[in-house]
Amino acid sequence: MSRPPMLMHIRFEKEDRSFGLWLPLFLLLPLALVVLIVLSPLIIIALLVLWPSGWGLWALKVLKAAIVSFWAMRGLEVDVQNSSQHVYVSVV
Amino acid sequence: MSESQKKILEMLAQGKINVEDARRLLDAVGSGEGDEGHGTAGHEPAGDREKGTGAGHKYLRVTVTPGEEGTNGKGNLFQDGNVGRVNVRVPMSLIRAGMKLKSLVPPGAMDKVNSALKEKGIEFDMNSIKSEDIEDLIDALGDMQIDVEGGRGEKVRVFVE
Repeated sequence: MSRPPMLMHIRFEKEDRSFGLWLPLFLLLPLALVVLIVLSPLIIIALLVLWPSGWGLWALKVLKAAIVSFWAMRGLEVDVQNSSQHVYVSVV
Repeated sequence: MSESQKKILEMLAQGKINVEDARRLLDAVGSGEGDEGHGTAGHEPAGDREKGTGAGHKYLRVTVTPGEEGTNGKGNLFQDGNVGRVNVRVPMSLIRAGMKLKSLVPPGAMDKVNSALKEKGIEFDMNSIKSEDIEDLIDALGDMQIDVEGGRGEKVRVFVE
């Protein structure tokens, strides 16, 4: 099983100004878990209400796809620059 | 015959791709193997090469290198014509996860995509992509390398590493 992304590095440079940020994604995981547990009764009710129309299953699939996509983001790197600007995003 | 060529022929036999797609894929695989012949392929065992064609690749890399005029554009980086150098690395796992998102697209929307593709001259049914084909497609990506050179000398490369 692959590791989830731990950190996201974002850096912007524009001429002589630059701005960099390290986002600790590993801190968001426990937070997301707490939010999921707190909201679980509401989520279950919503799923039960939506299930007959078919949207409940779809919502579950979306939730799963969002988690899987987030998990798979480790290693993503985007580096775009021109002569005056530079944007760099990296997930590690 | 390599494993990739066998897979392409199998996909053709199963009707997953048409003859034209198969020809293009076989050409791409053939030229890739031709290049390998001049490179390191001769130094590694055939078994390792077969393994390396799909499962061993971890990232899809897209690079854009400006021409001799240098990095063009000085304005907003996210507007057309202003981008100079681009280097994007996408994990194969993210591509795999992204392709599975297809199952979330409502059937009605898929029909619209199909008709839009048809308008552009692309005869392809998006519904024909099955989840079991995704692994084959991702394996086949391992043999893909795209090199495009623009009119102003800019070079676009898409490859798997």
